[in-house]
Amino acid sequence: MTEREDRTEHALRMGHADGTEPPGAANLAEQTDAAARTGETGGGAWLLETVAVSKRYVRDGRPLHVLDRVTLGVREGEFVSIVGPSGSGKSTLFRLIGGVERPDEGRIRIAGRDVTGRRGLISYMPQQPSLFPWLTVRQNIASALAIAGIDRKKAAALATEWLERIGMGDTAGAYPDELSGGMKQRVSFLRALLMPRDVMCLDEPFAALDALTRTRMQAWLLKQWEAHRRAVLLVTHSIEEAILLSDRIYVLGGAPATVLREIPVPLPRPRRTDMWNEPAFGRLREDILTLLGRSGERDD
Amino acid sequence: MDVRRWRRALPPVFAIAGVLLIWQASCAAFGIPAWLLPDPWSIALYMAEEAELLFGHVAFTLGLALRGMLLGVAAGVICAVLFHLLPAVRAAFSPLLVASQNIPLIALGPLLMIWFGVGILPKLILLVLVCFFPVAWSMLAGLGQSEPQLREYLAMIGASRVQAFFRLELPASLPYFFAGLKLTATYSFLTAMVAEWLGSGRGIGYFLVLQYKGFKTTGVFASIFCIVACSLALYGLAVLAESRVLGRLRMGGNRAKGGGRA
Repeated sequence: MTEREDRTEHALRMGHADGTEPPGAANLAEQTDAAARTGETGGGAWLLETVAVSKRYVRDGRPLHVLDRVTLGVREGEFVSIVGPSGSGKSTLFRLIGGVERPDEGRIRIAGRDVTGRRGLISYMPQQPSLFPWLTVRQNIASALAIAGIDRKKAAALATEWLERIGMGDTAGAYPDELSGGMKQRVSFLRALLMPRDVMCLDEPFAALDALTRTRMQAWLLKQWEAHRRAVLLVTHSIEEAILLSDRIYVLGGAPATVLREIPVPLPRPRRTDMWNEPAFGRLREDILTLLGRSGERDD
Repeated sequence: MDVRRWRRALPPVFAIAGVLLIWQASCAAFGIPAWLLPDPWSIALYMAEEAELLFGHVAFTLGLALRGMLLGVAAGVICAVLFHLLPAVRAAFSPLLVASQNIPLIALGPLLMIWFGVGILPKLILLVLVCFFPVAWSMLAGLGQSEPQLREYLAMIGASRVQAFFRLELPASLPYFFAGLKLTATYSFLTAMVAEWLGSGRGIGYFLVLQYKGFKTTGVFASIFCIVACSLALYGLAVLAESRVLGRLRMGGNRAKGGGRA
């Protein structure tokens, strides 16, 4: 499959480059690196890491400390969620990972290489579908793939093929305003899935959907992900969504936000959407709620 | 559908017909002399008789207006894109451009003639100066108006400045471009006519001057009708182009089916 080839090619390219790090970041990174390494023994190397990342803004003349030494990571083929209340800096973290902004301290690494402030290395699914209204569904996907460097013809063929595969072949020529909210998010997800990049970053992809559509989309995403097993970093404020989908969860909280805890999800794969009935699910949910409750801010 | 459209067209048609009737009737009733105010029927007769002459002048002016518009719109687009991509250039030159729009044409025209003679060049320059501004200004606004979500998406997937421009900013600015184009279309014919006053042996502007200097009021009115018709036609063309292009790009008012925007 061409898309896989592209990705391995990409990963190989990154492997060859030497991951030199500026000396300044070393001090801060050291302690958190240790924590990261203990996780690493669990399986595989980190594909994406944020190492002791801090970010401050100045808002209305006052300093606003958003992120405080956030260290987390995603391995190959792993689904990882970041859970936290609204306004806990989750989206800021994504902007840092995407290279749109630079952290004040700390580094971002992809496949072991320092990529802090570099753009175009992740694929991204935003909260709003962000489809271009003047492009058809197929063109929307193909256009994003072309930005990622895929040949135009190949991009269009890939889009057609995969739309067919997820049962949306008949919408390929439709415009976004002809699709329902859920359908738009499916297109947005497919667009992110097909990007020839190592990590998929999903930024509250279902937050704008109604409850019923949201549940259906979670089941759909689960099915899609278990079929393709890409490395995913999902930001959400829904604890249930995080437990249902993830292998590991980072609970983010406090102001400035820090990683309160890293929690492996003990549920087996393949997951079923009715797993929230299981006692392990309930206990985990309680744990995370307590954790967030203790950190002072609750968001329901 | 069609019936409703006809019904919408009826009131203005009746209004225009009414005005013409009253005009015709008052000219007859009060015995107004033709050199003061000719009646519509005589104007129509005059236009029919002199159709060939009028057509020649109108065609000349229309050609001038279209060429000026083409150059002006091109200059406007280039200017908008340049200003958008290079904020420093924008900061430096935008006050100058705004100022340029406040130079009275009546003063600028003779100057251009002194510098460039009485040929086509000074007239084209005058037209370009008038035509480029609405397009440049409104497109420049449009280029900065693209949806923040889409902008953020492109940034996150690593689109370059050029990619963001061609994939988002340029298409998103099209409705604004057409708003500017419609304004330009309205001005271009009138400006071409004014340009002809500044020395020309042809064109409806030249013909108009000839008529009023000879107190041939019927000719003046005939010219006015031609000018209004041409201006409206150019505007109509711009509207047509707008609805075609925007409709195809799912932008204009005729969005296919309801539903939220992406």
